[in-house]
Amino acid sequence: MFALLAAAAIAAAAPAFAHHSFAMFDITKQQTVTGTVSRIDWTNPHIWLWIDVPNDKGGSDTYGFEGMSPNFLARRGWTRTTLKAGDKITVNYRPMKDGKNGGMFMTAKANGKALSMMGGSDDPSQAYEQK
Amino acid sequence: MLFVLAAVAGQQYVYKAPTAADWAAMAKLPDFSGVWERGTVGTGGNSNAAFGPQPTRGNQPPAGATGAAPQRGATGGQRAGGGAGRGAGQRGPSFTPQYEAMRAAAARQPQPEDNSTANCLPPGMPGIMTQPYPMEFLMTPGKVTIVIEAYTEVRHIYTDGRPLPQDSDPNFFGTSVGHWEGDTLVVETVGFNDHVEIARGVPHSEKMKITERFRLTDQDTMAMETTITDPVVLTEPYTTNGILKRHRDWTISEYICEENNRNSVDQSGKAGINLSLPGTKKD
Repeated sequence: MFALLAAAAIAAAAPAFAHHSFAMFDITKQQTVTGTVSRIDWTNPHIWLWIDVPNDKGGSDTYGFEGMSPNFLARRGWTRTTLKAGDKITVNYRPMKDGKNGGMFMTAKANGKALSMMGGSDDPSQAYEQK
Repeated sequence: MLFVLAAVAGQQYVYKAPTAADWAAMAKLPDFSGVWERGTVGTGGNSNAAFGPQPTRGNQPPAGATGAAPQRGATGGQRAGGGAGRGAGQRGPSFTPQYEAMRAAAARQPQPEDNSTANCLPPGMPGIMTQPYPMEFLMTPGKVTIVIEAYTEVRHIYTDGRPLPQDSDPNFFGTSVGHWEGDTLVVETVGFNDHVEIARGVPHSEKMKITERFRLTDQDTMAMETTITDPVVLTEPYTTNGILKRHRDWTISEYICEENNRNSVDQSGKAGINLSLPGTKKD
């Protein structure tokens, strides 16, 4: 998905989204939200994570997070069941510029595991499931 | 390798089943077969940059971790020459005056938020060769086929001795022929559509040609040199260098961009995203 033809210096710090830019996300910010996984779409061109986050009205709000592609992640330690509906999850993300609930999936903690879209190592066991 | 495709009147090339001798001759060629992933970007030519961004494996920070805003242009994914951003020590394409004026004019305009890859159109050449997804090289008598995971694309490189077409229909990946110079596969490609830009706001001419040189530098490393010539647009050939790494335990995965594409871009370059939960009315 990196269709970015940006300067190499900039691109080196950007994730491997081949297919679009980050125009919708405020990549100067990081936010964290905790909820329950309602749905994981293990689909191209990108996975989508949907979680329910309790709100102050006694209900919950739906948040949607765009991640990397299943192809990319499957080569880096993820499987389609790494996250499942019902998992308690804390997501670190780049928020939407327009303030809507969701953003770009960066890292998460779920089921005691640290998960990352990119990781910090080529060793998936270290990068993507840091215990 | 004219033995595979027999030339007949009018430069028509007709498929003829390879013989045992044709297959035996394959064994003398370097083995490019298998699944390759773009590696770290090499140096050389007149740019240190490959066409696309650098790979994002390894110890690099997570997406956007530095806070640096990615830059991109109108058809960034399809730009042939590197386009907008140039890092230190890199030199972009050198344009003839008329086209340099186009580049400068485009640079003064606000950058579009996204390009048509957001709508699942593939990048054209040579950007399709630098995607963060692997490619499988298949070698058969008279042909090298590159199966590209990103966007589920294929390049057909005829090595049977046929000439480049004189007047091919323009398309994303052009029309390619190849030949071997020792252990180097030299691929010449012509005939690109308007999705292929040399830089943001700078079109190519009908004379644009891409010459790629592929050669093994060790058992599982391949050097990929890419040179764009366009005597109308460029004052000199523009060359970038990259490398590919062979992953002998990888296979090509399915990649159907339209499966669940929630990104979009409109004609003005404004990006969009669908944040509606699947199954709800807005989805």
